[in-house]
Amino acid sequence: MTLYEKIKTIYPALTDKDFEQYVILQNNLDGKGDYISKWEHPTLAKPTQEQLA
Amino acid sequence: MASTISAGTTSGTAIAISGDTTGNLAFQTQAGANTITVPNATGTVMVSGNMPAFIATNSGTQTYSASTFTKVLFQTENYDTNNNFASSTFTPTVAGYYQITASINHDYAGSNGNINSACIYKNGSSYQISSVRGSVTYGGQQATALIYCNGSTDYIEVYAYSNNGSPQINVSGTGGSTLFSGVLVRTA
Repeated sequence: MTLYEKIKTIYPALTDKDFEQYVILQNNLDGKGDYISKWEHPTLAKPTQEQLA
Repeated sequence: MASTISAGTTSGTAIAISGDTTGNLAFQTQAGANTITVPNATGTVMVSGNMPAFIATNSGTQTYSASTFTKVLFQTENYDTNNNFASSTFTPTVAGYYQITASINHDYAGSNGNINSACIYKNGSSYQISSVRGSVTYGGQQATALIYCNGSTDYIEVYAYSNNGSPQINVSGTGGSTLFSGVLVRTA
């Protein structure tokens, strides 16, 4: 399951537009994988590492 | 008062270098038949040997996670005049303004409303994004920007973005080619 899929499981209400504007996921191909580079959603809190595990 | 240094043969002047009172410098040949004027300005004279320019392409299909800005691999250098391109990253060693272009051939562009993007990143952050929404099988996106680079630490990369279930970048195809290019337009 990708990071995007995990976040969508935690917050099904997140829309595609949210992922273009408020929640930015990134992968620099540096071996560290996908990560949250920005979380500025007005109502939903950034998931914890435990939630994403 | 203008100053002139001339050199030539018994048949006439072959070359003359002159400076006028406004600070301009002129090189003339054959009694003024050909003239190059260097305006009164401070800067670096650029010649073909020190003007960075490059084109790089990817050499295979690249898949990545949906809705995740992902660095695009460019394994093949078509040319790299100043050896400033490595590891899919352009790090120019001449300070100035660069015209940067990123083209991405996305496959499986998906259904209505899906988005596919080509993104130019400077120093790890998004600088310019070009996106297409639609219902096409292949999607070609191109982003371009004029970007200042300091000639030492600034670097440019290309990222892809798609909200399709299994986004994929192709070398080339109906949506165009995947390439990354840049050229120095003028020095700082």
